[in-house]
Amino acid sequence: MNRMTHPIEPEEVMAYLDGELKADRAKVAAVHLSECAECQGLVAELKSVSQNLNTWNLDSPESAMPPAIAGALAENRAASRYAFPAHGRSLREVFGQRWLTVWRVGALAAILLLAVGIPMLNRRSTKYEYSKPQETVLLVAPKTPEAIPGGGGGGDRDKLETFGKPQSAATAKFKAGQQNESAGEHGPIANGPMTIRTAQLNLVTKEFDKARASLEAILKRHRGYVGELNVGGNTGSGRTLTATLRVPADQLDATMAEVKTLGRVESESQGGQDVTSQYVDLQARLGNARNTEERLTDLLRNRTGKLSDVLAVEQELDRVRGEIEQMEAERKNMANQVSYATVTASITEEYKAQMQVVPPSTSTRVGNAAVEGYRTMADGVVGVVLFLLSTGPSLLLWAAILFFPARVAWKKLRGLAA
Amino acid sequence: MISDEALMQEFRGGSQAAFEELFTRYRGPLYGLFRRRLERDQRAEDLTQEVFLAVIRASVRYEPRALVRTYLYGIAMNLLAAERRKQFRDSASGEIAAEPTTQDDSDSVLWMRQALGKLDDAEREMVMLREYEQLSYSEIAELLKLPVNTVRSRLFRARMALKEHLKPERNISASAVEVVETAGLPRAEGEAI
Repeated sequence: MNRMTHPIEPEEVMAYLDGELKADRAKVAAVHLSECAECQGLVAELKSVSQNLNTWNLDSPESAMPPAIAGALAENRAASRYAFPAHGRSLREVFGQRWLTVWRVGALAAILLLAVGIPMLNRRSTKYEYSKPQETVLLVAPKTPEAIPGGGGGGDRDKLETFGKPQSAATAKFKAGQQNESAGEHGPIANGPMTIRTAQLNLVTKEFDKARASLEAILKRHRGYVGELNVGGNTGSGRTLTATLRVPADQLDATMAEVKTLGRVESESQGGQDVTSQYVDLQARLGNARNTEERLTDLLRNRTGKLSDVLAVEQELDRVRGEIEQMEAERKNMANQVSYATVTASITEEYKAQMQVVPPSTSTRVGNAAVEGYRTMADGVVGVVLFLLSTGPSLLLWAAILFFPARVAWKKLRGLAA
Repeated sequence: MISDEALMQEFRGGSQAAFEELFTRYRGPLYGLFRRRLERDQRAEDLTQEVFLAVIRASVRYEPRALVRTYLYGIAMNLLAAERRKQFRDSASGEIAAEPTTQDDSDSVLWMRQALGKLDDAEREMVMLREYEQLSYSEIAELLKLPVNTVRSRLFRARMALKEHLKPERNISASAVEVVETAGLPRAEGEAI
């Protein structure tokens, strides 16, 4: 079959039957097949082969899900393994084990470093009673509102604490709500305008510790959580607590009313930003992007063409999916801000100046001096070692290079002198 | 109908119903893939399960770069290759004696399997993936790691060869069964040599 008599190749006839020919070539093939007996014969042969192959039918397997799969599904194990059967271990698995060992050793080394390093750091700082008023301690976020640490007490003085966002039950509930919301596309909009509410409150209190404990109790009552909390203060002045609180939007007013009872209100402000139109716009763009993704997926599945076309579609699909993920994150963030109002509260302790400041005791001063002396000595030794390590190799190299010329020069000088 | 990719995403998000739907869609085709290539029915069932177990285990790592169908068939082809290696090792060490098969094929099927057995391994795989699994040329190319044009030309050659092999009379002989055996295709019941 040559091109002079047949405008399409035999392989193209087969591809045409398989629906794998591009549209322009398919048209040529259709026209040619309607008038070429030889190619019609080829079509008949190809169809006959397919018919013969399709005589091999199988019974359908049982439709019920096997217990092994149902069990694995129930466990929904996150651990992923390469898709090889149980017998034998693949190279990938072996290397995987090796990497696991390397990771374990690395983790152990890191833990050892931390275990040795942290006490050393602490030893340096704990003996100084008022030396570092603003030291930052990062704490692990508590899992429930109950786990939020209670009123600091004297030990909190001169420290600044930062709390991460707790994964409270309320948050979990909110997240679950958000998932439902994302399933039902336009969930929050149906309830009316969407407003991001914010409030700011400055208080002065005489009973600082009690106010802090009460603040946490109020948050717990209203299903809120602490976004960030800092406590700081210096000798000779009152302590200050600044906190970013997140409370359900419908609980904002009640929360504010209760927080105000903790002290004298110095200033208060509330604000709101209407994001309804932004949210609707985001939803619409998200919907469009999802439709595009679906169309591209269908295109990829059902249409055929050149490899370059397929790759182009896949690239476009990747881009659209990236956009969808970005918009989805933006939408969730916006919904979160709307559902939970943000309160920036600042509580300052009313400071009472003390006439007599008790000086540190003699034993403390002696202890401090001893620690200071030890630290200076250790720093000196470490400094010398570091200097030797950093410059030693260079000095040795130059000494080796310059030794013989210097020796020759020295001998000459001595000879001349003699 | 929800696309396979959407179902996979839902499953990754924790939807058990999405997985059940994928299972319903692909259990039959995957079982067919294994059943037509393996001797024992039970192994086909087991390997079909293995595919879905692998999907569950690797759901966290799954990235929607390929179609779910290609992804599933890719896992299946890996499992099949491993199974064949195991069978080869076992047969070389004489661990497993010939076991009775559970296939009950008609003469026409045997005749057609004999013809398939005469094909080159890769070409037979192409024909089977196209005819039984209904994969597109690009999907076959992806699975077999070959260029699409190579798939098309070799598929054509294989079909033409198959046409020639199917021409002789339907005569099931011992030699035919031998050919099926050497080609790694399952042997029919009652034909134990």
